[in-house]
Formats: sequence, structure tokens, C-alpha cells
Amino acid sequence: MKLSGIQVVWIIVTTVIIAIIGLKITPVIQIAKQDAWLSMLVGGVVSVPLTLLVAHLSILHPNQTFTQFSQTLLGKWLGRIIVLPNLIAWYILPAIVLRSFGDFIHLIILDQTPIWIIMLLLIVVMTYLTYSSGITGIGRFCVLVGPIIIFTLLVSFLLNIRNTEWHHLLPIYSDTGWATILKGSLSPAVWFAGPFILLVIVSFMENPKKAISKSMLGVGITVFMLFTSTLMVLLVFGPDLAAKLRFSFFVSIKTIDILDFIQNIDISIVFIWIFGVTAQLSLYSFIASYETAQWLKVKDWRKIIWFSAPVIFIIAISIPNETTITLFDKFWTSVVFPICGIGIPFLLWTITVIKRKSVKL
Amino acid sequence: MKRVANLCFALLLLTVTTGCWNLKEPNQLSFVKGAGLGLTEDGKLEVSYLVVLPAALGGGQISGGENMETFRVMSATGKNVSDAMVNVQSKLSRKVFSGHRDIFLVGQRLAEHGMGETIDPFLRIPKSVMRSMIYVVKNGQPKDIFSIVPFFDQFITTSLSDEQKAMGLKPYLARKFVEDVLSEGKQPLVPVVGLNPSEHYSYAGSAIFNKDEDVKLVGFLNKKETSYARWITGGLTRITLTSHVPKGDGSISVTLDSLDQNIRVKKIHEQMQIAVHLTGKGTIIENTTKLDPTKQKDLQLIQEKLNQKNQKLILELIKNVQEEYKMDIFGFGEQVHQQYPHQWKTLKQNWPELFSQLDVSVKVDLQFTNLGQTNTSIYP
Repeated sequence: MKLSGIQVVWIIVTTVIIAIIGLKITPVIQIAKQDAWLSMLVGGVVSVPLTLLVAHLSILHPNQTFTQFSQTLLGKWLGRIIVLPNLIAWYILPAIVLRSFGDFIHLIILDQTPIWIIMLLLIVVMTYLTYSSGITGIGRFCVLVGPIIIFTLLVSFLLNIRNTEWHHLLPIYSDTGWATILKGSLSPAVWFAGPFILLVIVSFMENPKKAISKSMLGVGITVFMLFTSTLMVLLVFGPDLAAKLRFSFFVSIKTIDILDFIQNIDISIVFIWIFGVTAQLSLYSFIASYETAQWLKVKDWRKIIWFSAPVIFIIAISIPNETTITLFDKFWTSVVFPICGIGIPFLLWTITVIKRKSVKL
Repeated sequence: MKRVANLCFALLLLTVTTGCWNLKEPNQLSFVKGAGLGLTEDGKLEVSYLVVLPAALGGGQISGGENMETFRVMSATGKNVSDAMVNVQSKLSRKVFSGHRDIFLVGQRLAEHGMGETIDPFLRIPKSVMRSMIYVVKNGQPKDIFSIVPFFDQFITTSLSDEQKAMGLKPYLARKFVEDVLSEGKQPLVPVVGLNPSEHYSYAGSAIFNKDEDVKLVGFLNKKETSYARWITGGLTRITLTSHVPKGDGSISVTLDSLDQNIRVKKIHEQMQIAVHLTGKGTIIENTTKLDPTKQKDLQLIQEKLNQKNQKLILELIKNVQEEYKMDIFGFGEQVHQQYPHQWKTLKQNWPELFSQLDVSVKVDLQFTNLGQTNTSIYP
């Protein structure tokens, strides 16, 4: 299984854009009001060192995934224990994604369909993509749908220009101040970096040296798209109304009305959302299965899918309500990401650098 | 063989995963072009719908369909908005579909009672449309307006959605109304329609709301005042002004387009002062004076006269609103917010009070770029 550089770029773009557009714009606007777009930019800047850390750590251990190199570094048992938090996170995250999307589709279109059927269908697609071709298939899928997502978003921006009002952005900065802008940027910042997927997927790259430039490009495209989307939501609704709308970007597409003729194009957003969610789910389930296989020393990681897919589905079903998802989001930003995305990788990175130096001496 | 089996399985999946159980054919839906909220005389909330009767909307062929009704007005009361909606639904055999709702009407009685609680359901339902326009019905209920048989269009809602454009106003959408209600430094100013004696509707200016007190209607502006107020907030595209010119012994009318406005906030001795500067370019459409606009001197005289007159009228309007209603419909608070964001943090607490004492100056600058086809009046 090999990944080209361009596939890595699109994997990052496809799996991250949809997650943030769908669920993160409104919370950021609630915090940073009309300066939410600044928060997105600041979040982009903050995410650069976070991405660099995980990318560089993986480059230091070519052809080894996270679970493998932590075992070579720290030994069989310690190496296994230290990756546990990440492994658990990689199981819970797709479940959360699955559930939020199921709720969304249930609310918007299929209100007479039980949520578990919507989720089951996605699980089937996810399992098929992951089982049939692993990370290469996911990479190809992302190269295919990533540009479609970007194109659809750009067209939606163009069509919505008529509805924009510049005064919604005023006054810039003085209402919020840097502390609030920074506070608003935290949640997107940890998302821009991707949920530490680079720890695994870099090891599949044909040319791991390119990992840093490609991941930066991916994060760059994502930050730009999120910045423009947030700007559009603010320009159309203003901060007060946008903060009240749960799926503010989706609703902003609903306002498009050109010559009483081009209307109701919000369905196109549902389309790209499904693409993005499929990519996300497949990627996380692949990572979860592959890393579990490495952890258990199972030769054929595909067998693990028959375990991970039901686990993800069961977790998703057993989430009681929306509040749990909101709580988890806070938990993710304040606990999970600092530990799994910064703490553990940084620890491993330090150990690697120290070991290399001592070998050289 | 395995391939064929897989393919069959995929095809089977296709048939069961189309979501058809969620499908509603158009003949199972009742399309709603307009929705209205009102309060009945005994204080019950009433929801009215203008429901389309598709059978009467033939493709223009001669089928004797001329006398068929194209719409029906349905209404019902309830404890709250949703309850009333359910009660309307119970009178219809087809499921209500609001995807084509253009118009949202509010009855005067409900508006005066306060409509704060009724806004939420219209935003919360996923199928609610963000493109509807909103009107207040003066001296009447939404169903009275919906029942009108229009002469241009098939439905009164179509006429209503073109009305504002025809009056030279930028359309005031329901989402704009919600935005104003949620804003800090602006009060909603909603267009008003009323029933006229000939059983048709007429545009009747706009209604001033108090968003701080349960979004209550507190007063009305007439058509002229509405145009001025919308000019200040940037919601005006065209206006016709007429003024008597004593020197020329007659009157002059101009139609202005390319209107612009600029609101400056100045801080003098810790007091905010507002300077409103309105500009417009236009065409002379009527001249019964002895003056000749092609002559520079006369033209200046006319422009001066119109500037002064409108300056006075607009200032009077602002004063009147400040004293009588104390509602900042001009968005001056928003301007202070944008131009003095730090001061605004303390000012916003008692803005209604501050607004009523605000020192406002108005300057109008009109230019007649097109003098029409004649010079002096044809019949002097």
C-alpha cells in the first residue's frame, strides 16, 4: 500500500474541510462574533507547528507507523501502553462523526428514517472502501472527491455574493480582542492539524521526505477554504444571527436566490458532505484497524475491520444525544488533543532526537 | 460467478436504500406560498396559509379553467405557532410544504401584543425558508390579505414580493428582521400593507418595532417617511421628490436613483453626534415653474431648494422618531458601534435613552444629471 504526495494533500483537505464546515463554524462565531474569520486564520497559524510535529516525528521513522515506532523506541510493553490513548481516540472519533452526520441527514432530509439505518449504510460504504483497497483506495477516493468539494464550495460562494453585506464584519477586532480571537481559534486549530492522522499515513508515502511540504499544502488549502466559508456565513447573516443557527454554513446556502430561479441548491452541500464523511470514516477506520493490528501483532489488518466497524457503529448508536457530542468536542479540544496530538508525539519526538544524538556521539 | 453475485447484491442494495419511504410526490403535498400569523379577537394565535390549488394552474391551454380558483386560504388557531400549524394541517389532506413560501405576514394585533415568542419556530424548522419577505398587516389579519384576488399574478404573494422593488425599496427579508431583532444597535422597521376600500391591498409605509420589549409594534411611518428612513439605512434604490419653488412660481418633481448615504459619528465632549449625509442623482420629471434648468443659475436654485426642503423633512422625521418612539430604526447605534467600538460597550446599556437625546444633523446633496427632454415648462 503506497500513497503519493498529492494523495496526502487531498486526504487532509477532504477529511478536514467537511468536519469543520459542518460542525465548527457556529461555535467559533459564538465565541469570536464578527471576528470569527480572524479566529480561523489564527487557528491556521497555530496548527502549523502541530502538524510539523507529527509529520516530522513520522519522517524520523520511515516506513513505520505510530504503533510500530513507539514499540521500537520504548520497547514492547511501554510502547504499547503509550499509544493506547491515541488508539481509543481513533475509535471514538469516527463514531462521533458518524452520529453527527446521521443526526444531520435525519433532521434535514430523511426525517422518517431511523438514524441507525442512515449510519448503517455509511458503515457499509466505509467498510467496503477500507477493506477493498486500504489506504491507497482512500487516497484515490480523496483525489477524486476533494476537488469536487472545493469546486462546489467556490461556486456556492460566488452564487451567494449577492446576499453579502460588508457592514456585518464591522467593527473588526475591537469588540473581541486578541484573547477572545485566540480562544475561538483553538477548536479549529486542533482540527486543521487533522486528528494526528499523519502519525500513520506518512509511513505509507512513497517519498516520506515530501511529507512536510505536502501536509502543509493540505492544511493551507483547508485553512483558506474555512476562512472563506466563515467569511461568507458572517457576511450573509451577521454574527448575531449566525450564532443562533446550528448548521450556519448549510443555512447560508439556503439563502441563495438568483432571479427566483436558482434556489434550493443546499442539496449540493449534502452531496459533498456525504463524500467528505465517507472519506473521514474510511480513513479513521483504516487507521484504527491498521494500528490495532500492529498493536496485537496481527499480520492481516483486514481481519480487524470486522471488529472495528461494529465497534464504531455501536459507539455511534449508544451516544444518547446532541449534548454528549458537544461535551465530547470540548473534551477533545481540552484533553484528548493536548495528550494524543501534542503530549505523546512530543515525548516520542524528544526520545528519538536524544537517542539519535547519543548514537552519533 | 462471484462478480455476478456481487453485482446482484449491489443492485439489491440500490432498491432498498433509495429512501423512498421518505419520498413525497407533488400530489401528496400542499404547496404554501404564504404564511401568516395573527391574534384573534379572543387572544388566540392564528396561523393562515395561502395554499396553491395545482389543478387550476394549467399550462395556459384552453380548458375552461379560467373560473377555477387557483388558491385557497386556510387558517386555524392554537396554543402556540406549532400547535396552530398542526391544526391547519388537520384541515388539509396533503402535507404542508413550505419550500416555496415567499411571504410571511404578521397581523397588527399580534404585532402590538408582541411577537417575540413566535419568531423561534420559523427559524427552528429545517424546512423554513430564509428567502421569505415579511410584512405587517395594518388593521387586519393575514388571511384578509391572502384572500385578495390579485389582478396581475395568480397569487397575492407574488404581487407582494414585487411590491417593494416597485416602490424603490430593497426587499426586506424575514431573515433581515430576525437579524435586526438580534442586533444591539438597531430596531426593526418592517414594511406594512393594508386593505384598501376597493378590497385590494396597498403598501402603507412601515412599522416600528421595539425589539427590547417582546418585539412589539410601537408605531407606523407613512410611505414618504419610510423612504427617508430607508435612505438613511441604505435600503432605498429610487425615490421621487416634489417641491414647490416660490421663486419660479410652480413646483418641480425629480426621480432620484443612485442614492447613497454616509453616516459619520463625531465625539464632542463625550457626547456622540451623528452627521447624516445623503446624496442622490436624478432626472427632472415635472417642471411647472418659470425656471429653465438648462441654465446653471436656475438649476442651482432648484437643487438648493430641494436640498433644503428634504433636509428639513428628514430632520423632522428623525426628531419625531426620537421623541415619540425612542426607537433607533436608523441604525445609528450600529454606526456608533462600528466607529467607536470601545465607547459603545458602555453606551449600549441605555442606548434607547441616549438615542432619544442624540444630536443629529442632516445634509442632503442632490444633483440633477438628467434634465428631461424639455427645458422650461411647456405651458408656462
